Amino acid sequence: MRAEKNKITWWQYVFLIHGVQLGVGVFTLPRVVAEKSGTDGWIPIIIYWFLSTIASFFIIEVMKKYPDGTIVDLLEHYFGKWVGKAAMILFTIYFGLLTTVIYAREALFIQFWVLPGGQLVVIALLLAIPSFLIVRKNIVVLGRYSQLVFFFSVWMLLAYIIIMMNGQWLHLLPVLKEGWGPILKTVKTVALPFFGFEILIFIYPYLQNKEKAFLGAVTANTITMMVYLIVTIAAFVLLSPDELTVYQEPTIMMLKVLEFRFIERLEIPLFSLYLFTISTTVLPFMFLTVFCTSRLFGTQNHSRFVVFFLLFEVLYIIFFQPTFEKNTMIHQIAKKWGIAIAFALPLLLWGILLFQRSSTRGTF
Amino acid sequence: MCRILISAVVFFLTVFFSGCAGRNVPIENLTIPLVIGIDLDDNNNLIFLESSPVFNPDAKENNEIYKLEAKSIRESRKYFDALATGEITAAKIQVLLIGKKILEHENWFPILDTVYRNPNFSINTKVVMVDGSVEEVIFHTPQSKPQTGVFLIDAVNYNVKRTRNVDSTIHDFHRQMYEKGITPAIARVLKKGKNLKLAGIALLNEKGKYVDTLGIEESSMLLLFQDKKNEELTLSLPIQKLADEEGIFHKNEISMTINSSKTKIKTDYDDGKFRFSFKIYMMINIVERLFPEKSIKEDELKKLIEQELTSRFENLIKRFQENKIDPIGLGIRARAFEYKHYKKVEDYWPEAFAEADVDISVKVEINTLGAIK
Repeated sequence: MRAEKNKITWWQYVFLIHGVQLGVGVFTLPRVVAEKSGTDGWIPIIIYWFLSTIASFFIIEVMKKYPDGTIVDLLEHYFGKWVGKAAMILFTIYFGLLTTVIYAREALFIQFWVLPGGQLVVIALLLAIPSFLIVRKNIVVLGRYSQLVFFFSVWMLLAYIIIMMNGQWLHLLPVLKEGWGPILKTVKTVALPFFGFEILIFIYPYLQNKEKAFLGAVTANTITMMVYLIVTIAAFVLLSPDELTVYQEPTIMMLKVLEFRFIERLEIPLFSLYLFTISTTVLPFMFLTVFCTSRLFGTQNHSRFVVFFLLFEVLYIIFFQPTFEKNTMIHQIAKKWGIAIAFALPLLLWGILLFQRSSTRGTF
Repeated sequence: MCRILISAVVFFLTVFFSGCAGRNVPIENLTIPLVIGIDLDDNNNLIFLESSPVFNPDAKENNEIYKLEAKSIRESRKYFDALATGEITAAKIQVLLIGKKILEHENWFPILDTVYRNPNFSINTKVVMVDGSVEEVIFHTPQSKPQTGVFLIDAVNYNVKRTRNVDSTIHDFHRQMYEKGITPAIARVLKKGKNLKLAGIALLNEKGKYVDTLGIEESSMLLLFQDKKNEELTLSLPIQKLADEEGIFHKNEISMTINSSKTKIKTDYDDGKFRFSFKIYMMINIVERLFPEKSIKEDELKKLIEQELTSRFENLIKRFQENKIDPIGLGIRARAFEYKHYKKVEDYWPEAFAEADVDISVKVEINTLGAIK
């Protein structure tokens, strides 16, 4: 796959990565970090940011070795056709799994918070239509979409900033209540909220100006970290540390507290708008799934696969009847793969390629 | 071709499968309780009450009030549905009245579970204790006042604005019940003669049991402790030094509005005890004084006000400690500044607070003495 005309701008690249990172995870994030490390839970977020920035660095270092192709082309180039094919299958499964998990979760959240009378299948079907319209196009359309969604939904953070201003900041003290132990445990066990930067291995070749690739990854990670920090700290100052973990989705619940003269129950309109932000996670993953599948079958046109894949999603929801619990379980599996793909793989490749280069140099 | 197909599918789905199919109820057919009440009857059975406005123009009464026996809030809904004109929705409940009889028991809090579990409930509903029977309050239909629900919510809101009552939303109440370093404080209402009266604050212990009441003036002082002065605050006190000769016209009384106030609390731990030092600073305007100017000098007046306020604040703290409650939330400060020591007493914080040393110093500055001498 050579990418000559389908180039994305730097900003599209940044928002594509950020969009994939920021998704359904943010609803539960304050609770998840607080369960392990109490109101010190904002520290692991900064650690995650640091880790994902390092990992992005390695991914970009690896991708530089073969700047005009995706990771699959790179693997094919260095290790042969069959390694490439195998990697493609693995990537398809990984992205497919992630898409399925988030797609089902999105439908579940909509059902619980906005349409308690609606059927899951119907919600999934309705979600499928806009998904199809966007995913059947190319990466540039996805990039534009992510950028647009970011700018028209970023103001929602204001709600959390208002909450923060009226909160009880004493909840955050003392910093490092129980030392570093629980914080490191959080880093180890909790879902990596920065997941998503691994799409770099597929979108890197499409970037116009590759010199600023790393800067772009850092920018995207930093924006994501800021969003997470604002939401988490708002939850910590609004809710007592003893009560916070009672709420399943503190991020949505918090919006119920806000009340203006002209509007109550802010969580419903804001959550509905947030669906766009969730779609910037699902759609790139879906795109990558069908992109890998279509390459596996050797066709350039992937829109047929989008239909198949969406059909599969709907069937999955009909037959598997996802619940929050089942969904979380599959998510755990996807997470393990994610660690391998986002952290281990680039480091490994980087090591191998470094070794190869030095050994070839040695033969001269 | 594709476009036509997609629009056809969209049309089909939105028309036939919309999420709220069959739930688009016109407002006339909805019963929207503004007030719900929970109480115990004489045989200790739980009773539930609700009061909702009627939108039907044919109805003579503009309020629909029902009372029934049930085991839980959610269960009560089906019985209300059987009584009321239309579907009942919980989304607009403004006030939750809880009878004193319930609050005389410990651990009643799980009754409210559905309010937090079910996202349909508004969590800005005010929690109000009824000193007496909830039935009397909810069935109270005054001629000269708006509906009870509207009256109650207005009364609470205005008193919150004037720093006389706590803004005890159901969300805040949840926080106070769970937080180990604070005990709940909620508004209290009672029926006196023919009127409903919002009478200060009811203080509960950490298990939700009613222990004490604060009058209106004391409620303001509790809010000053928490440094939560709102838009306006007026305090009235007698100057003890001036004897009130006849006693009919309270000639030693002085009233002041508090322009600005700042409460600083220092938290320490020594000798196995927590120590809290309050420094309360106020800038006041005298708005009323019933004694002549020459009987007391400004400097002295300031001192006397400081003394009077200090002793009032101290008495209040003493009462909290005797009752083993901490409505100020000093436990939150103890956790923030003396975490190690707090962690040990966390589960019985009110007892630890009862033994704590509390120093109070009040500093008053008089901004103006008013328009006349």
